[in-house]
Amino acid sequence: MSVAMEICRIVDQKYDRAAGTLVTVGVEIGDDSGLEFGNLEFCLETLLSQPPFGGAKPLFDRKPGSVLRVSYLELDDGH
Amino acid sequence: MAIRTIEVRERVMERNDGIARDIRQRLDAAGIVALNLVSSPGSGKTLLLERTLAALDGELRMAVITGDVQTQNDAERLARHTNRLVQAVVTGGACHLDARQIDNGLEAVDLADTDVLFIENVGNLVCPASWDLGEDAKVVVFSVTEGEDKPLKYPKMFREAKYAVLNKVDLLPYVPFDVDHAVACARQVNPELQFFFTSATTGAGLDQWFDFIRSLVARRTAGSAA
Repeated sequence: MSVAMEICRIVDQKYDRAAGTLVTVGVEIGDDSGLEFGNLEFCLETLLSQPPFGGAKPLFDRKPGSVLRVSYLELDDGH
Repeated sequence: MAIRTIEVRERVMERNDGIARDIRQRLDAAGIVALNLVSSPGSGKTLLLERTLAALDGELRMAVITGDVQTQNDAERLARHTNRLVQAVVTGGACHLDARQIDNGLEAVDLADTDVLFIENVGNLVCPASWDLGEDAKVVVFSVTEGEDKPLKYPKMFREAKYAVLNKVDLLPYVPFDVDHAVACARQVNPELQFFFTSATTGAGLDQWFDFIRSLVARRTAGSAA
């Protein structure tokens, strides 16, 4: 949960609300990151379903190694 | 509907790790050994630290930053054994300490008058493994009332730790715990792990632990890291 909260902190910092609605948070996660993938996915989905994120979905890209990175955000600009 | 992609590419731990790097540099420059004690709840971290403070107070200049989800009970227990600083961090629900909390805690520590900083982390074998606090080493404490396979269940913590304390060895006659198997499980995930076998209650094995702390301080004074 603490890692999911840190991801949300980064998302909150980068997310320009005026630019659109957040729909996807891309996360790279390494197989050796020491995190249980299903648990992180569940925690992050839960946090992103709450304000201010309003239901954005995490999309994980599993990698070799220990990487753990927020790679991109996808926004719907409504047009 | 038009989807816009914003590139982020930020390491999740970047902010914490940056603060931790700064802490490590400051402690290193001040010649301070910093040990981050991590464990599940109830393994005996606080009693081990109480015994350590009581035994080495006056010989080594020790400071403690202790984290608890709620209450300052551990800090109050530890403060009875030393006149030096015991800094309590109440995490307010968070299951681990982070580098920012240690940075804040260090504001109250006289670095020029400290040999050893003990960080007593929140009792949890999962989250504290991911958070660098600027310590020289993590010391994982576990006890014979827990399963021998704990290192296999929580591999990241045992991989991140440099030292392990197997505590409550006075209870070995009463519990079905195979020490050799526990050590083998730990070495399976971290072959370099250095073990101590203690009972903080009876004092068994504590002399080796105290000598180890002394040796770390001596080595740091001589210019090498933990």
